[in-house]
Amino acid sequence: MKRRAAAALLTAFVALAAPAGAAAPLDLGGVPGYVVPDPGAALGSIQLIVRAGLDRQANAESGLASLAAQTILHAPSGGATLADALAARGVSLNAVVGGQYVRFVLDGQPEALAAAAPLVAEVLAKPPADAATVGAARAALLERAADAETDPRAVGLQMLRNAYYRGGPAMPLFGTSETLALLTPDDVGGFFTRWYVRGGALVTVAGPPGAALESAARALAAALPAGGAPQAATQTRPFGNEPRRIVTHRDVGGSYVLLGFAAPSPGNADFPGFLVLRALLGEIFESSEVTARPSFFRPSATILIDEVTPAQFAFVINGRIVDPGVGLAAVDAVLKAAAAKPLANAVLQRYRDAAHGAWAIDNITLDERASSVANVAAHGVDPAAIDAVGPAIAKVTAADVQRVAKKYLQKFDVALILPRQGSGS
Amino acid sequence: MTLPRRLSRAAISVAALLVWGGAASAQTAPFGTLPGGIAYTIETDPSQPAAAVSLWYRAPASGFDAVPLPGLAKVAATTVAASTPVTGMSLGQVVRRAGGRLSIAAYPDSVAITALVAPEQVAAVVRAMTADYFAPVTDGAGLRIAQREVADDMLYRSFVPADAIEDALAAALFTAGPFHDGQGATVEQIRAVTLPRVTAFAERAFRPSNAVLVLTGNVPSTALTAVAARNGASPGTEPPVPPAPRPQPTTIAKTANVGGIGLGWNGPPIADEASATALDLVADRLFSASGSVTKALAKRKATVTGRFVTFHDPGMFLVTISGDEAAAVRPAVEAAIAEAAHPLAPAPFGAAKAAFVYHLLDDMQTPDQLADTFGWYAVEGNPSYAPARGGARSRYFSLAAALTPEAVAAIAHRYLGTAPAVVTLATPAPAKPS
Repeated sequence: MKRRAAAALLTAFVALAAPAGAAAPLDLGGVPGYVVPDPGAALGSIQLIVRAGLDRQANAESGLASLAAQTILHAPSGGATLADALAARGVSLNAVVGGQYVRFVLDGQPEALAAAAPLVAEVLAKPPADAATVGAARAALLERAADAETDPRAVGLQMLRNAYYRGGPAMPLFGTSETLALLTPDDVGGFFTRWYVRGGALVTVAGPPGAALESAARALAAALPAGGAPQAATQTRPFGNEPRRIVTHRDVGGSYVLLGFAAPSPGNADFPGFLVLRALLGEIFESSEVTARPSFFRPSATILIDEVTPAQFAFVINGRIVDPGVGLAAVDAVLKAAAAKPLANAVLQRYRDAAHGAWAIDNITLDERASSVANVAAHGVDPAAIDAVGPAIAKVTAADVQRVAKKYLQKFDVALILPRQGSGS
Repeated sequence: MTLPRRLSRAAISVAALLVWGGAASAQTAPFGTLPGGIAYTIETDPSQPAAAVSLWYRAPASGFDAVPLPGLAKVAATTVAASTPVTGMSLGQVVRRAGGRLSIAAYPDSVAITALVAPEQVAAVVRAMTADYFAPVTDGAGLRIAQREVADDMLYRSFVPADAIEDALAAALFTAGPFHDGQGATVEQIRAVTLPRVTAFAERAFRPSNAVLVLTGNVPSTALTAVAARNGASPGTEPPVPPAPRPQPTTIAKTANVGGIGLGWNGPPIADEASATALDLVADRLFSASGSVTKALAKRKATVTGRFVTFHDPGMFLVTISGDEAAAVRPAVEAAIAEAAHPLAPAPFGAAKAAFVYHLLDDMQTPDQLADTFGWYAVEGNPSYAPARGGARSRYFSLAAALTPEAVAAIAHRYLGTAPAVVTLATPAPAKPS
């Protein structure tokens, strides 16, 4: 083979919205379930949503949601950690912590998943909170936190989240070394007891239909103890008439500017129009690019963060390539123009096509397809809304785009990541 | 001053392009050859939200000429994608306006152009891609875009330790040819590429009979009818590069943008399927994210990669070690490789095999990943061995299932039991203050 082994990643706050095959309901005995069938797939992906995201953290508990999720991965199982025990069976287990929930992701061949799910269920039914397991999870989390600190886009996104959201979703995904040091095994145990319950949980499956995946989904759905976890409304801070500016310095080779906006979620009537506008914004600095480039070389990027409702949208300017001042002015001018008058028909059609294509290719792995259904279902939206987005993009009008530009993209926050003195090249 | 756009002579020949239409519409076989000698593979999955359109060519990365020009294949392929044909829109624009993603990858002996697009765009992209490459138009504007993008990529690559070390290892394993020349090029080398040289390369490399067209994902059954043809194109495929392995062991030390250590062995040819599969398993067991070396060194300040690369003949087993503790962990890495020559106990062997199969299937989930797999094995000369062919029931996976601890150990001993080529990269010492 020619592939290069890729390290497993625990990431969050990534854009989840994506098209999917028609999701069908799955009866899992009281826990909502959905299946995205792909008869041709050799693997399956199963996702368990637990309402134990950042919004469950109290002020002094920054990092607790991630520490709890990481503790599940490190739980002892047959002489190894749960994640390693599953890897030896050809199954990967990851946990993705977000603002309003944590998503446990199991990927593998259907029969392997059926055999592995009871091991996961056993841990979820009685999560460990002993000092050794929590300590190992904390160490792993600190490494991830350190890695995230080296990525200017991740740093900028965290700054924007902190500016936009209130409460838990504003906190650093992995906490900080200081807050993690203060969290005790009892804190983790208490978090499990309170939030790792069946209430609000759901399961999504993508892959070949059949008894194996269904059996695995049932095992996960039945794992959590009974209990309620009502969804908490996430509050946001109003934008000012002038952008809030947040500045930080990091060991980066060049500056980055991130603009943070409000955004509609999938299922919202504004969502298709927003995607068309996003396609237009994506071309402000990249009209001559031919090939997909590493982000380091891309002048700009757009990131839709819709795993939290209300959603957030970020426009990234790579200061190595575009002068930040010039870039800000250009984006501002485009947004004002989009709000001031409707797009010409030819322009509208061009960006409808681009938005439609981008929507189709955005998330194409089984994991991503299961995630996109899980995300909308977790927010109380019918998963069929995902399938409706593609056709709806084709019907977006110039007035829709103008409305969306006015409603979401005239006020924003600005995060600046500047090189530390002496760093950069 | 605005210079007139320079079009190569290939632009003229676009008039001779045809679309196979009815000739290909009868094609329903999953793989075969279209008129004009175009090999194709089509693997449809209607459940996929997207599709991949991919053209693969066997062509040396550093060109066909006696004097190698590193980076030429990628510059040429990107120039064609960026140049404006008589239709008025470059392939890059076609894919961009469709909201798709175009990638161009060059390997020592091949080059691949892949577009990931929505299903309803497949026919248009197949038409544009085959027309643009089969009768390549190369213009000055396209070359400038290509030079910029490829120079960026090469610069980036030179700072990725695994890429830089692997390039150096290939140079150490071969005395000549595209493997020796490597895939890397300096910005100056890329800027020095001229349009005539790009055009000559494109005319020879990208001709229809040298192409492997791969369509995967949610592909309409009629997609092949959109394939362009070219009257009068030279027939025949490019032959595989004759091997020129260097007698080992070789030790090379050089300066680079990144530091690190590389260990390299020549491996079995792609025709030796059982041995190639076994070495894939060895690499996965040692160096994947859940591999034993990766786990053992998790707390060290070192990154270790290892893979077997299935080339026509010979393959290569490449290990890279980078990071502050690269030298310190090298003995552990070498010990793990030596240990692979001893059979594993049944339980850990079963676990390694399960993980290996999962990793392999996980790397073939998306249309572009599938296209990559089909294309690679086709240009290396053994398309029916592609793991993607038939999924988990394929020939490749049957071979993997049949592997035993003893057989894997014997193959590891045979290919990895000798002294490797060793390269040591070091960053230049800082200049002394004057």
